[in-house]
Amino acid sequence: MSSSKENGKISRRSFIALAGGAAGAMALASMGMPMGWAENNPEIDVDALGLDKFNTDVLVIGSGMAGLFAAVKAHDAGAKVMMVSKGRLGSSGQTPFAKGIFAFDPEKEELSIDEFVAKISRSAMGSNNEAYTRQMAEHSLDRVNELKSWGFFDSAIYNKSFSKPINERNIPVHERIVVTHLIKEDEKIVGAAGFSVDEQKVLIYEAKSVILCTGAGGFKPNGFPIGDLTHDGTIMAYDIGAKVTGKEWNDGHPGRAENPAACYDGWGDMFENKPSTVSVEVHHDLGVDLNYMVYASGNSVTMGRPGEGDMNAVSGGPFTPEEFKRQETGRRPGPQSDEGRPPRGEGKPPGGGKPPKDGGGGPPGMSGTPVGGSSAGMAIHKSEGLVPINERCESNIPGLYAAGDALGSYMSGGIYTQIGSSLAGSAVQGGVAGEAAAKYSKTVGSVSISDAKIKDVEEEILAPLKREAGYSPAWVTQTLQGIMIPNFILYVKKENLMKGALAYIEELRDQHMGHLRAANLHDLRLAHETRNMIVSAEMKLRASLMRKESRCSHYRLDYPEMDDENWRAWINIYKGEDGTMQLEKQPFGQWPNQGAEIV
Amino acid sequence: MAIESINGCIGCEECIKSCPTDVIRLDQKTKKAIITFPEDCQICHLCRLYCPVDAITITPEKSIPVIVSWG
Repeated sequence: MSSSKENGKISRRSFIALAGGAAGAMALASMGMPMGWAENNPEIDVDALGLDKFNTDVLVIGSGMAGLFAAVKAHDAGAKVMMVSKGRLGSSGQTPFAKGIFAFDPEKEELSIDEFVAKISRSAMGSNNEAYTRQMAEHSLDRVNELKSWGFFDSAIYNKSFSKPINERNIPVHERIVVTHLIKEDEKIVGAAGFSVDEQKVLIYEAKSVILCTGAGGFKPNGFPIGDLTHDGTIMAYDIGAKVTGKEWNDGHPGRAENPAACYDGWGDMFENKPSTVSVEVHHDLGVDLNYMVYASGNSVTMGRPGEGDMNAVSGGPFTPEEFKRQETGRRPGPQSDEGRPPRGEGKPPGGGKPPKDGGGGPPGMSGTPVGGSSAGMAIHKSEGLVPINERCESNIPGLYAAGDALGSYMSGGIYTQIGSSLAGSAVQGGVAGEAAAKYSKTVGSVSISDAKIKDVEEEILAPLKREAGYSPAWVTQTLQGIMIPNFILYVKKENLMKGALAYIEELRDQHMGHLRAANLHDLRLAHETRNMIVSAEMKLRASLMRKESRCSHYRLDYPEMDDENWRAWINIYKGEDGTMQLEKQPFGQWPNQGAEIV
Repeated sequence: MAIESINGCIGCEECIKSCPTDVIRLDQKTKKAIITFPEDCQICHLCRLYCPVDAITITPEKSIPVIVSWG
């Protein structure tokens, strides 16, 4: 592992001397200051990188809940499957932190599935895709029972239970591989490419079909565990012509003012809990209502205890349907997504950390003084990602599928509706996509990626390592955060400020994105992630500018009303022939292009 | 400062593999885990939860990045 920093050449000697020795340099690094000169001093020999090539029927990218079921079900449908992950099976993305999983048990529920779907649609103000809402409910109990048989509910950490079905099927899993490119030839998917953060290798995966289980993404915000999610799947799919959707919606999870970067501490001991199941409980959980309250009141919102703070305290703001207004006291605004509300465990205090303080056991914002933007850059689960052309998780690129948060299925709509359905939806969609991709792969002859294509892709992957000078990914990320995270850009939206932010983001795109530098493989990962965040920021601003109304988690101060006449529609984004970002409407209740009704 | 120290490491690499943001690497000489990219720590504690010998100390503090004009 000669790529790691401790083994590399000391490339920053001059800087360290200036910073007062190694201790000073470490201190700056720990503060997040992008260290290093503009000059790039690679710590590895870029020209000596190896190349490994693999061939499979179905390639699953990502190893969270969606990836698990995609791999298992594709294998069980008769396909040769490989899984590749930027992290580790069951320990990357948001899956490790999701502790509540919805299971619709018709024997126990008072609502029928039809009534459940109708109620979700009322909460989502029509913005959900009923086919995916229904599919999630119908399949959730089966997936939950499979998870149970693998030991999922017996441990707070998921690697062991996820490994069971994967190992039983001898499915190869490549971990700590950063996939950066999807490869398309003759208008069909033929594979993917990336690099290892441990070994000096570029990896080429030839595949008849690819399932993106790459999760959602954000702007590496503080206080919410999405530091490894940067919409990688969405952006690499967009690059080869896939349509993506859902960029205007907002996850509004707040963090805590005290130690705002501490994800674990903000969630109390929830991360220590074993997962549990959740039954029907439909909400309209905005999250962004808190952002509006702060905006309208000049941040006089103090919420020391759960239940304090009330949308009635300010006029206007995001609209909640009457049926879903909170009646009870003792709750405060804030989304309840797939974390659910499991009972507090008996978890020990974190090693070296402090035990939870008074009221410290709830999700961020449920206790302590809140701060906004902890999940900045992320939309509502399942509403942001590739546009499905049918209920089989298929994209507009033949052979390319997506599941979970990488698929813009609108299972929930532009708002959080059913608690615990996000994790259930990932399991269900993973299974559906796995079976569909396996079936598709049987219709395709052998695939191979040409040497010329491999050479081009390899050049793009390694470019930041080869630059003699450039911008550090950390500095560009920090700059992007300063533009995108403030409350008045994506949470409380206004035309002029979004246009201003867009001008800044276009500057990052045009003047910085092509000049990111990397001295080692960790930096190379950051460089690619930074690029993806810039593209996603542009998408979020353009979609938010286009939707001239307010609905669910998208709130425009200048268009505060819902506009059913013009906006019963989703926004799809795709790359135009000239390389620019194009946006189009797709009516609610219809599949793209063909205008076929979703039933 | 987020992940703070690793004491009593047995070199099993569980923390290295389970860190979503690639903060920890294996020291090739000592064959023990070493905190390598602390600036990317998201304080999620997965490394500590996976550590079989409770060797990892994490604190909730993380400093605000210094703002500069380019970098």
